[in-house]
Amino acid sequence: MSLPEESLASRIVEFCRFCRDSGLSAGIKESVDAVSAARAVGISDREILKSALRAVLCSNKDEWDQFDELFMSFWSSAPPGFRTTTPRKKLQPDQPLPQGAITTLMGRSSAGRAAEADAGKAVLGATAQERLRRTDFSEASQNDLPELERIAIRLLRQMSLRLSRRRKSMMQRDQVDLRRTIRRNVSRGGDLIDLRYRAKKIQQNRLVVLLDISGSMNPYSLFFLRFAYALQRHFKRIHTFLFSTQLTEITTSLRGPSLAQAMQSLAQQAMGWSGGTKIGESLKEFVVYHGARELSRDTVFIVLSDGWDTGPPEALAEQLSAIRRRVRTVMWLNPLLGLPQYQPVTQGMSAALPYIDVFAPAHNLESLLALERHLE
Amino acid sequence: MPPTLPPGKQINDPGDVIRGLEEQGYITDSALATAIFLGTRLAKPVLLEGHAGLGKTEVAKVLAGFLGARLIRLQCYEGLDVNSAVYEWNYQKQLLAIKIEERTKQTVEEKEKHIFSREFLLERPLLQAIQAQDFSPVLLVDEVDRADEAFEAFLLELLSDFQISIPELGTIRARHVPHVVLTSNRSRELGDALKRRCLYHWIEYPTLQKELRIVALRLPGISAELAGQVVRFVQSVRRLQLSKPPGIAETLDWAQALMSLSTHDLDPAAVEATLGCLAKSKEDAGKITEAGIVNLISQAG
Repeated sequence: MSLPEESLASRIVEFCRFCRDSGLSAGIKESVDAVSAARAVGISDREILKSALRAVLCSNKDEWDQFDELFMSFWSSAPPGFRTTTPRKKLQPDQPLPQGAITTLMGRSSAGRAAEADAGKAVLGATAQERLRRTDFSEASQNDLPELERIAIRLLRQMSLRLSRRRKSMMQRDQVDLRRTIRRNVSRGGDLIDLRYRAKKIQQNRLVVLLDISGSMNPYSLFFLRFAYALQRHFKRIHTFLFSTQLTEITTSLRGPSLAQAMQSLAQQAMGWSGGTKIGESLKEFVVYHGARELSRDTVFIVLSDGWDTGPPEALAEQLSAIRRRVRTVMWLNPLLGLPQYQPVTQGMSAALPYIDVFAPAHNLESLLALERHLE
Repeated sequence: MPPTLPPGKQINDPGDVIRGLEEQGYITDSALATAIFLGTRLAKPVLLEGHAGLGKTEVAKVLAGFLGARLIRLQCYEGLDVNSAVYEWNYQKQLLAIKIEERTKQTVEEKEKHIFSREFLLERPLLQAIQAQDFSPVLLVDEVDRADEAFEAFLLELLSDFQISIPELGTIRARHVPHVVLTSNRSRELGDALKRRCLYHWIEYPTLQKELRIVALRLPGISAELAGQVVRFVQSVRRLQLSKPPGIAETLDWAQALMSLSTHDLDPAAVEATLGCLAKSKEDAGKITEAGIVNLISQAG
């Protein structure tokens, strides 16, 4: 790599463009920095040049892992001097698409990732957004799905931010507790020297979320997972479970730093996606194995299910009433409740109704967002 | 404006950084050294990510040692606010001052000016970091992923301008831009703006050779044989998909534990007695036992 000094800059800029075309997020500013970095370390040592450019151009682990290949393919194949680079097609995202379970759940392979990749680029008219917010998840057309997912990510994120901000402002301790301050300072002749603060201790509610992933819930499951992920970002004490005929805890999987990673980690677990439903038994499993830890007076217990149950309705009623006695609120979110003609008359659902505090629809984004006020 | 180095100190290339840090007892590779070198040259913060126990925090400490600069540390946590990160007024002292000045003939304006002067300012780490008079300190912002997003935004602003506005005092501008090292455990993804402001470095688990050198350097008393066994054992344990794979810190802890039990040769009993140094949960310990301690030892042989 022997290049005259003046062409070094343009060569580096060309490489930055190549990286950008290959999916790195580095912008113009990074290009400028890359040139200064290359000037600072010189180009005599290839490894050091690589490290320098990598430090400047990458901003997360994924890009970091991808960089080696980019560097190799750009610099090694290049004959001395200039070369017109035709940017290759976008590299395969280094994290393979969630295969198997999640893919069947999504019912489409690439929509999720495409939507995330395009996030922030496409701008949709306000009316179209309004429409999508009200679109029933199961009726969204294939064309709308990426857009719908994009809006979902944004709105759910806003919601979780709002929840945490509200909590923060309540936790500030900067109010002086005058009574205790004066009491404390009596010995000093009443001069306020040692200030006492009124510390508000707001204990966040504990959240337990149970997601139904049986076959009948297919069109909704993906959005519910997003919902659970958004909640989990800002509730410290939250545990999330999936159930169909059995129960699986997915709290740790959802703790990943990004949704894509969380989904991937979920895909690696074998679970009864799209199978039958035994709500009563799943609840029982929950009570037996997790009840002692999860159920308390400050728990909000959330079930996301359409209530189609293949088990005996008595079992469901029995478990739910037992849970009801131990928690603060039982919320049942039913996507079918969005249908105008729907009546909760399935055996399971009508057996469960007496033990539900909040029975709400969850068929579109708007209904999910409306739940915010029950979560405080 | 790049950070100012102490008089007589020069860093001309990444090699200088490698040598300098090694003198401080820290073995590094050219990739990290390059990032640190560029940090000092381009006046950019260095963001270190990687698993726990791989010496992210240590980087800032040895860098300060190498430069002969002061280390200022800001440990982030949820709810960290400007009062504990930047500055706060010393209310008690202000109240006392008011009392003392009660009978003097100063005007209210003068009194106010007095109690809102530097004398009554409690400087927290970020303010300290931009106040250096002679040369740049090292500012370590530890576990930045644990602070909340609002604080991250504030930090971004500070790292771009290196100035802080205090309403009662005016704007304080850094005379010497600090060397900034940020660490993150990736418990959440940091904002794009902050990440792009920084030079990025991902700290990998060390290679066998590198880890051997680290153990030899940090534990001078260890026999070459035991060091080899310990490091190879730990390297195989890392392949077991534990929820918290042991980092270098764990390797060192464990080697030290074995040494204090006067173990010269790794045997199953000794490993079992000291397993707590490597596995930080019951499940992880279970996974190691499942893989077979005898088995792992023979691999490490």
